Amino acid sequence: MSISALFIVFALLILAGALFQKTARRVLAGFLPGAGPYRAQSVRARKIKERIAVVFLIGCSSIAVLTTIGIILSLVFESARFFTLIPITDFLFGLQWSPQTALRADQVGASGLFGMIPLFAGTLLITCIAMAIAAPVGLMAAIYMSEYASPRARDIIKPCLEMLAGIPTVVYGFFAALTVAPFFRNLGDANGLAISSESALAAGLVMGIMIIPFVSSLSEDVISAVPRSLREGSYGLGATQSETIKQVILPAALPGVIGALLLATSRVIGETMIVVMAAGLAANLTANPFAAVTTVTVQIVTLLVGDQEFDSAKTLAAFALGLVLFFITLALNVIALVIVNKYREQYD
Amino acid sequence: MTDSISLPIAASTASKARLASRHAAERRFRIYGLLAVLFGLSCILTLFVTILTGGYNSFSQTVITLDFELDADNIDASDIHGSNFRTIVRRSTYALFPDVTTRQDKRTLANIVSSGAEYQLRDFVIAHPDRIGQTVTLQVPMSDDLDQLSKGVIRAELDESERRVSDIEISWFNSLRDQGKIETVFNGTFFTASDSREPELAGILGAALGSFYTLLVTLALSFPIGVASAIYLEEFAPKNRLTQIIEININNLAAVPSIVFGLLGLAVFLNFFGLPRSAPLVGGMVLALMTLPTIIIAGRAALKSVPPSIRQAAIGLGASPMQTLMDHTLPLAMPGMMTGTILGMAQALGETAPLLMIGMVAFIVDIPGGVTDPATVMPVQIYLWSDSPERAFVERTSGAILVLLAFLVTMNALAVILRKKFETKW
Repeated sequence: MSISALFIVFALLILAGALFQKTARRVLAGFLPGAGPYRAQSVRARKIKERIAVVFLIGCSSIAVLTTIGIILSLVFESARFFTLIPITDFLFGLQWSPQTALRADQVGASGLFGMIPLFAGTLLITCIAMAIAAPVGLMAAIYMSEYASPRARDIIKPCLEMLAGIPTVVYGFFAALTVAPFFRNLGDANGLAISSESALAAGLVMGIMIIPFVSSLSEDVISAVPRSLREGSYGLGATQSETIKQVILPAALPGVIGALLLATSRVIGETMIVVMAAGLAANLTANPFAAVTTVTVQIVTLLVGDQEFDSAKTLAAFALGLVLFFITLALNVIALVIVNKYREQYD
Repeated sequence: MTDSISLPIAASTASKARLASRHAAERRFRIYGLLAVLFGLSCILTLFVTILTGGYNSFSQTVITLDFELDADNIDASDIHGSNFRTIVRRSTYALFPDVTTRQDKRTLANIVSSGAEYQLRDFVIAHPDRIGQTVTLQVPMSDDLDQLSKGVIRAELDESERRVSDIEISWFNSLRDQGKIETVFNGTFFTASDSREPELAGILGAALGSFYTLLVTLALSFPIGVASAIYLEEFAPKNRLTQIIEININNLAAVPSIVFGLLGLAVFLNFFGLPRSAPLVGGMVLALMTLPTIIIAGRAALKSVPPSIRQAAIGLGASPMQTLMDHTLPLAMPGMMTGTILGMAQALGETAPLLMIGMVAFIVDIPGGVTDPATVMPVQIYLWSDSPERAFVERTSGAILVLLAFLVTMNALAVILRKKFETKW
């Protein structure tokens, strides 16, 4: 309680400071010497104060860097401990994932299997399904909004689509698990197909829906950045609007679109709640979208939720998975950034 | 010269056919675009309709009117908490159908009333100790299954083996309804209670307060730090390698999966610093780190939109860089920064995954009283309920989602209003 009280006081102080800063400064200014022989000193004092303020600002900026360092250090450190228990090659190339470690040394099935390949296969499958939906829909929506829709229609459609981006992922997870997955299962039953109630299809579809506004708004930025002269040149040669889009604008915007798709892919790979609620727990090495697969993020959550001792291989495995996840998403972002930047240089 | 020149190509039938097919391709392409937009919009619509139709039921509750005989045998006025209210509730329930005699049927009959009835009765007696010895009439919640039956979620026309409610319960329910003892009232419990194993007793107040404390910590940390970082990077930082590294780093941090922030919180805040598990304090710290990039990026954009002439005028009148900032640039950029902060807070309010890592996923019945008490937050409560087997929790989940979405819509609307109101065109 005392800490909480302290925090509330802290927050109030910040608020009060922000509201009354002008008054406070005026009151303080009354006490400060403003002229005469003190003037030089006051300028020096002001400079010192400003120095201190800048140092404070630098300190705040470095928190973002510290966060990154903290993430890397904590992931690497815990993963290193994991790799002293399980060989790194077993983790990277193993085809079996069953992290049930034994409580006693002499128990049957004492060694857990920590091969991450099935988890990444599952992540890849769900990502492919999601992107197969989000990429065409997002791109076509972006083309329609930037090239065809009237400004008034655009002003209505765009915020509506962007609402999809503002919905919490746990809501999508609920929708996937209780509406979409049973729908697919019943559809499969009616057509004699065995569709699991935790199918990769349901999770991937909902994930794709979630990412549509992300793809569409990024692609729209890229498409509207294509210079007008290219468009007009194409129209001048007699091309129709769709021919211009397909043969002039899209090729010109391609690097940016690919960058947008890579960013969306990295989002999908790191997304957690939809798959935790709608995808399976058992690691299956399959490419069948109707089967249940598990993903990296699902396993991180499963391994860490609940009370566990912190030194078991099971808990540490989550950090190793987190490390791989972090580097994959980082790599995708960096590649996307490089592609987008290179493309920008072409036209500016 | 202005005479029309007849173009030979226009007359050729082959070219007409080509033109027609090109125009058809144009129309098709346009329709694909429209279909993509319509697909996106129909997803929104489906999502909202599903949540709304599933969720509005959670705001009502089926109650039964019962007469309770508060006899002195079962109630000890000096020790009300230790009194046997369960027996009183049982006796009142059995009195509804005196002809039920078998043990099994009696047990079923006792279960048509929620187990919360005895606590409601206890609270009534604590509030009105003078009523001991009398018979009082109270409305108490029915069990979740009968509540679902009353709302039509459990369908009576199904075969007995396919539904959770037995035939005898349905006959009791119908007879009680015909006697006017059953009513559907506003479900106040949903807004005043915390989590419970019984759907009819579960509420979201605990989770909402948990969210509030978490966001308070997030705001207290991320707003000052984010604004200070934005100011430094936009106004003071020299254009050198270090600044570039910080900038790239912030952009990358915005794209790190949220679950990785949870791992950071677990390893650093919980295991290294030994802060309490499940506490809004730690949740708020993790979410602050997560929303920091959003606030910094929005803050920089807001500072960038203040025209340089304002700064030059202030500097020209002898103001120091810090005075220019505090008196001129920052007040002008503040609305933009606040908008960014509200959007960041909305993002933090909907975040679930990192909070699972730091133990905010526990079953917590108590309403948290501060930032160090164990608590859960609304998205995590939604996750927990959606996992529960009881049918009635499905509608509670939808109801909680509706409340969460209402908060999010309010926050986003606030951001839009703020932007509209203070938007300055230079």
